[in-house]
Amino acid sequence: MTDEALVIRAQLGEREALAELLARWRVPVWTYVRRMLDADRADDVSQEIWLAVVRGLPRLRKPGRFTPWLFTIARRSITERLRAEYAQAEKVFLVGDSTVEDPAEAMVDRAALVSALSALPVLEREILVLFYLEDLPVEECAHICQIPAGTVKSRLNRARRLLREHLEEKGDLP
Amino acid sequence: MTDEPRLSAQNMIEHLTPVLSPRTRIRAVTALVAGTTGGAFTGALWWSEPGPLPGHTHLAFAMFTTFCLAWAGYGGWLLTRRVPLFATDRLIAAWLALTASITTTAVLTTVAAQRDTATWPVLTVGGVFITTSLLLTVRAHLRRAALVRRLLELTHRENQ
Repeated sequence: MTDEALVIRAQLGEREALAELLARWRVPVWTYVRRMLDADRADDVSQEIWLAVVRGLPRLRKPGRFTPWLFTIARRSITERLRAEYAQAEKVFLVGDSTVEDPAEAMVDRAALVSALSALPVLEREILVLFYLEDLPVEECAHICQIPAGTVKSRLNRARRLLREHLEEKGDLP
Repeated sequence: MTDEPRLSAQNMIEHLTPVLSPRTRIRAVTALVAGTTGGAFTGALWWSEPGPLPGHTHLAFAMFTTFCLAWAGYGGWLLTRRVPLFATDRLIAAWLALTASITTTAVLTTVAAQRDTATWPVLTVGGVFITTSLLLTVRAHLRRAALVRRLLELTHRENQ
């Protein structure tokens, strides 16, 4: 069954559909939260996100857009916890923003990405998690982060560069 | 780095149980419907009372109206902030509101007529409530029908 059908069933009030939706998306949401926050806070924030999802689900007008809606809620919860870091990162990003067009085909090794993510600033970390770990398209990343698609690409570009520099420093890359 | 969530899907559902419990939703809808209709009709009766009223009657009307509006506020807060009302719940809630509006209007109009007081304030307030709850009922039916229709489309497409 597609996510959209599951969301509609949940919106109609079927509790089993809601449970199935939760079972399907629990780990991806937690993974996103965990890459942004420490382990102690990841479970609490995940619970908070699911509470907001359940409360907001009846008002979701486009069930087919469940994924970006879900990650927008998740991002809001994370942003609240990392308010100071986001504020600082926005400043840094505006100064060093790159507008180089990036063909998003460039692949980043998943395992290396996961281990190095925690060293990156929040904005770059967030976009890498959404794009590479959650496999969301650029348009959905843009919707979730409330930025234009072009900014997503330039942010991805910068994130990959930072990641490469970090891995080279650690000696994980030749 | 922990790579698994500590809470299972079952734990998570249990955590959400208070929000999803039918009792909480019934409580919220009942508080909103009873509080709003009670407050509005008490206000209408208070306003339409003939002749000057003694101070303690004014006080009693004011207290009862405030009490009803406090319950309405509590119900509204629960429904907008705490408790999700799914499509079927909305339909039931709308029918409850319509039934409560019609019943309260009928009862209070009868009381007003028996006491020889003006019935038009009660009928006006009742009319507003009945119209609003009727619109909410129609909207809830349309929303639920649209969801069911889309679900059938998706199911049909999956089965092809």
